[in-house]
Amino acid sequence: MKGWRGLAVGAAALAVAVAGCGTSSDGGSGNSGEPKTLTVWLMDGSASTTLTDALHKEFQDSHPGVTVKYEIQKWNGIQEKLTTALTSNNPPDVIELGNTQTAKFAAEETLTDLSADMAGLNGDQWLGGLEDSLTWDGKKYGLPFYAANRTVIYRTDLFEAAGITAAPKSRDEWVAAIEKLKAANAADPDFQPLYLPGQSWYVLLSFIWDEGGDVAKSQGSAWAGALDTPQAKAGLEFYKKLVDTSGTKAPKDADEATPQQMEVFATGKVGMMIGLPWELAGAVKANADLASKTSAFAIPSKTSGKTAPVFLGGSNLAIPAGSKNADLAKEYLKLLSSAKYQGMLAEGGAVPGTSTDTSKLATTPIGKALAESAPNGKVTPTTPSWAAVEAGQNPLKDMLTAYLTGAKPLDQATADANTALSKTLGG
Amino acid sequence: MTAVHTTDAAVPTNSSSAPRRAAPDGAPRRRGSALDRALPYLLLAPAVVAILWLIGWPVLSVLVTSFRKLNLRELTRGEVVWTGLDNYAEILGDPAFWGIAVRTVVFTGLVVVVSVLAALLIALLMRQISPVVRIVLQVAMLLAWAMPLLAATTVYQWIFDQQYGILNKTLVKLGFDSFAGYSWFSTGTSTLAVIGLLIVWQAIPFLAFSLYAGAIGIPKDRYEAAGIDGASAWQTFRAVTWPELRPLLLMVTFLSLLWDFKVFAQIWAMRKGGPDGGSTTLAVYQYLEGISKSHFGVAAAVSVVMVALLGLLTFQYLRRLVRSQEGEL
Repeated sequence: MKGWRGLAVGAAALAVAVAGCGTSSDGGSGNSGEPKTLTVWLMDGSASTTLTDALHKEFQDSHPGVTVKYEIQKWNGIQEKLTTALTSNNPPDVIELGNTQTAKFAAEETLTDLSADMAGLNGDQWLGGLEDSLTWDGKKYGLPFYAANRTVIYRTDLFEAAGITAAPKSRDEWVAAIEKLKAANAADPDFQPLYLPGQSWYVLLSFIWDEGGDVAKSQGSAWAGALDTPQAKAGLEFYKKLVDTSGTKAPKDADEATPQQMEVFATGKVGMMIGLPWELAGAVKANADLASKTSAFAIPSKTSGKTAPVFLGGSNLAIPAGSKNADLAKEYLKLLSSAKYQGMLAEGGAVPGTSTDTSKLATTPIGKALAESAPNGKVTPTTPSWAAVEAGQNPLKDMLTAYLTGAKPLDQATADANTALSKTLGG
Repeated sequence: MTAVHTTDAAVPTNSSSAPRRAAPDGAPRRRGSALDRALPYLLLAPAVVAILWLIGWPVLSVLVTSFRKLNLRELTRGEVVWTGLDNYAEILGDPAFWGIAVRTVVFTGLVVVVSVLAALLIALLMRQISPVVRIVLQVAMLLAWAMPLLAATTVYQWIFDQQYGILNKTLVKLGFDSFAGYSWFSTGTSTLAVIGLLIVWQAIPFLAFSLYAGAIGIPKDRYEAAGIDGASAWQTFRAVTWPELRPLLLMVTFLSLLWDFKVFAQIWAMRKGGPDGGSTTLAVYQYLEGISKSHFGVAAAVSVVMVALLGLLTFQYLRRLVRSQEGEL
């Protein structure tokens, strides 16, 4: 009997406590009316806190009663998280999407059409490559946020020691530089003139585009792989030439993230890597000595003096179709697309999405290389199925590994990958 | 309590008869019999409802989803589009699907056989060795068992790494120079072999402990009797150990079959079902359809096909299980 009474008291206490929670949370959200919360999801590493702090302060000051709920998301698994968020009743109001993912979400009409608002969002200065990635069926489902592309990051001290006086301006000069570096450091068995993992497929895109080829071709709204073209094959051959000439010790069956190439570069035994600005920053963070010994040049074209087209990695900003504060979100985007904040993005080392002014970017060597090559930037096919290529089994990676390890001859590797790619793009 | 009271009350009025006493004794039992009979079910009801809610509902939901077209668009807008058997037609008509299904069945079969056999050997070994060695072995197995799935996968990935892997380095030191820079993940078969090894390694502890528990339950005197009769080790195993362990062995084989058939995390984490889709199993195929392509209806159909296939594989065992509810396996 005593036990029962104790239980009853416990249950009653619990009920009171739960009821208490209920009332207090009612009190919090109950006074409906003016105060609004704008939920903003930006990705890890996209915008510096200096930028977001200033932006959110200015926005909240000009919109009394509005609170910006700023949440930083991780890239890993973001596609699944966005799918869940966009289908929920209460999605975030502003989201950041990788440019290769945007088409998928746009085509399924999960994003707000911003075509009519373009003018207010600096529409005439949008970065072409990114604008393509967010256009679906002639409508704009977002606005470009920022972009970055790969450049060749190199060690100035090692270049000097090997007698290379100027940054390579053509593929031939690049290969010659690799050979010189290799010869100058022949005494060190751990030295790699160029670190190039076998599945760095964004780098491969550059070479294929430089040859005049492409990954896939569109026939109306349908896409078919174009990896078996002579241009694509020539791109692959140059990739192999780089791997063979440099004798890179990087794994042939992994991409630049396993192991992180910036960590390998930071060991100091690497002459060059093809990477993004943040990768150089990461290497410098791990090995501060590198800060004064590194620079960058744009990936050279096979035509001397030109730069190769590069994959424009970047992000778009969009408003989910289910957002309850779409108007407020548009005003937020308007503020973010203004020259002031775009300038801050450029200062942070990224190519701004809605401003053609890159003067702030060109102050560092890597920024200069970025600004030089970004106008020549391209993106992967704008089709909703492309996201499945990256989130699933990427045929380009399999193709590179098969060809570089000699598991398949060039013709078979490209033909197999092309079949797999066409299949994924078709459904 | 009530029965006692009625009897007490009955005593003064009618002191003698046994039949009278039996009546009030039996009456409440007969009167409450409907409730009495229903009571166990009522007591079970909350648990049954909870189980149906937690397990029955998702199963039903998957079944229903498999007849719908459910892509990102339908999911966002809450549209319900019925497509009949289209999803099934799509996967069953996909030539890649049958290759993947066969690969999954073969892979599961091999992994189950190897892990159960290895576990059986270890279980029998544990009975023979000295307590100290046994404890060391048990602790080692417990540690292997306690290791998180993905952590173990990462460790295996590095063991078999092309450049920095300890395995290649060791093989080269041992004189097998051709293993310098050898890629263990260059074909689907060798990738699956590595994954299979990992799964076997993870499965052995549980299986070995279960079988060991069964093995120590076999009375010692039977072995003594076998020894007196001059039975060889193999004969002893056949005549004494095997009949006793068989039901348990069947059960752990059945469980392993269920676990290994649907294994996903290790395969995905290792090479995402690559290279060239060479290590793709049904579970990975389902993930590619559902999560990567956002075709949730098709993925649901794959699940249903998987369950059907699993039912087919375990049909014999399930039949025995149902038939031998009261008896031995």
